[in-house]
Amino acid sequence: MKDDYLWDPSSAPDPEVERLERMLGRLRSNAPAPDVDQVRSAVLLGPRSATLKGSRYVSLRFLVPTLAAAASIVAMIGLTWQTTRGTRSWEVSRMTGQPRIGSAPLAGTGRLGVGQTLVTDAASRARLDVSTIGQATVDTDSRVRLVDTREGHHKLALERGTLHAFITAPPGQFVVDTPSATATDLGCVYTLHVDEDGTGVLSVTAGWVAFEFNGRESFVPAGASARTDPRIGPGTPRYDDAALELQAALDDFDYGTDAAAKARDLQFLLSSATPRDAMTLWHLIARVSPADRAAVIDALGARVPMPTSITREAVMRLDKAALDQWWDALGLRDASWWRKWKGPYPAVVK
Amino acid sequence: MEHVLNPVALHRVTDREVSLSGTIRAVAAGDRDAFSQLYADYSRMVHAVLLGRVPRRDVDDLVQDVFVTAYTRIRELREPAAFGGWIATIARNRATDYLRQSREQVALPDELPGGDPIEAETFAVLDVIRGLPEAYRDTLLMRLVEGMSGQEIADRTGLAPGSVRVNLHRGMKLLRDKLGLET
Repeated sequence: MKDDYLWDPSSAPDPEVERLERMLGRLRSNAPAPDVDQVRSAVLLGPRSATLKGSRYVSLRFLVPTLAAAASIVAMIGLTWQTTRGTRSWEVSRMTGQPRIGSAPLAGTGRLGVGQTLVTDAASRARLDVSTIGQATVDTDSRVRLVDTREGHHKLALERGTLHAFITAPPGQFVVDTPSATATDLGCVYTLHVDEDGTGVLSVTAGWVAFEFNGRESFVPAGASARTDPRIGPGTPRYDDAALELQAALDDFDYGTDAAAKARDLQFLLSSATPRDAMTLWHLIARVSPADRAAVIDALGARVPMPTSITREAVMRLDKAALDQWWDALGLRDASWWRKWKGPYPAVVK
Repeated sequence: MEHVLNPVALHRVTDREVSLSGTIRAVAAGDRDAFSQLYADYSRMVHAVLLGRVPRRDVDDLVQDVFVTAYTRIRELREPAAFGGWIATIARNRATDYLRQSREQVALPDELPGGDPIEAETFAVLDVIRGLPEAYRDTLLMRLVEGMSGQEIADRTGLAPGSVRVNLHRGMKLLRDKLGLET
């Protein structure tokens, strides 16, 4: 055994210790520090504040002193409200079962501070007030952490489970991180589900959601969904009423590894897409290799003619303005805010 | 008894103590950045202490609890240099409290590895480490999970470097024996 490596990881590695490090390093945590403002609120509430400190369970021996202190608690409610409403936290309400904030059970309502985690089990659900811009419902068997909340920017991390969001704010204010993609709300209603392995699916009911991971982006309109996978990020969006064969081919094209099979999937997609699938074809322009791009352009052009104001050559080199104009020709509702801000395609070379 | 001072060691410890003392004073005064610094410096140690005792699914939440407790009680800390040992004690007490309440109320499941064989092996090794004596268990988790060096472990826990070295080597030998690895 190379004892020095055990003491000093920068020295010559011991292969066995190194293997254990790689394996056990998966258990490391990246949880952020508790929010100091929220901690201050907890201090004012006392060491058994329901939102930050205290046991997972209510024990009877705490009940009597708790009741005895009821008058004080009533007096403190006003102070608590005054204190917490100005801090970086959201109100959370129990819907069913026994959700937890951190390790503390949520009896009725409480506050979820930055850095804290809301956990539901197989029998519990909870509702979050997303600052003043909307609500999010957290379904059973979910785990969601408040990453940040401030004027104009609110961010959650959905580590597992299902979240339904209803947001009325201007685009870009509400963001949800998942292990394999980030969902940026563009003023909408949507459902986001994440499995234990980090894969997930986004389904949009109203408005738009931008789905992004490591520079790969999908732009998902109402009535459409997009899968996501930690290996490559968001898949190509498709309408939920698209043919099942087309959806299966799209999944295989997005996440398959056999080049020949992917080529066959692409051919099937291009030949079987309906005019309504033009949104999917538009996304494929930037996702295929340059060698396949011409075929995608032809397929999209057959469903939605290319605007006369742009050129095929511009689309071939993924010119942002050209892609924007073709998007507008799809007849979908305006979503220029996101496209002009970032655009779900690679940077262009002018 | 004659005390022999090592000027080099004394200087290093004093610098660290001065820095830690300043950070702790700032935290006590409500300095957000100082609290973040303290968390960055000590959260891995606290995470390791808890991971050796409670189900992984609740470790992150309990780390938060431990730091909230440390924040609310930091004025009770008379000797800043003892912060590492102090917060480790809070973590151990929190884990004990958690386990006691779990037994009183409902038996919580431990890790439930899925079909992933790597994940299953990871939790199997974690279980073996959890069965080691406390000193070896904590030190090995800080080294193998958190990636801390021996010197970092000594700095954060307040243990003598020699003690950490012994704990690492003896703990690793025990772990190898239990895992049936060649030494």
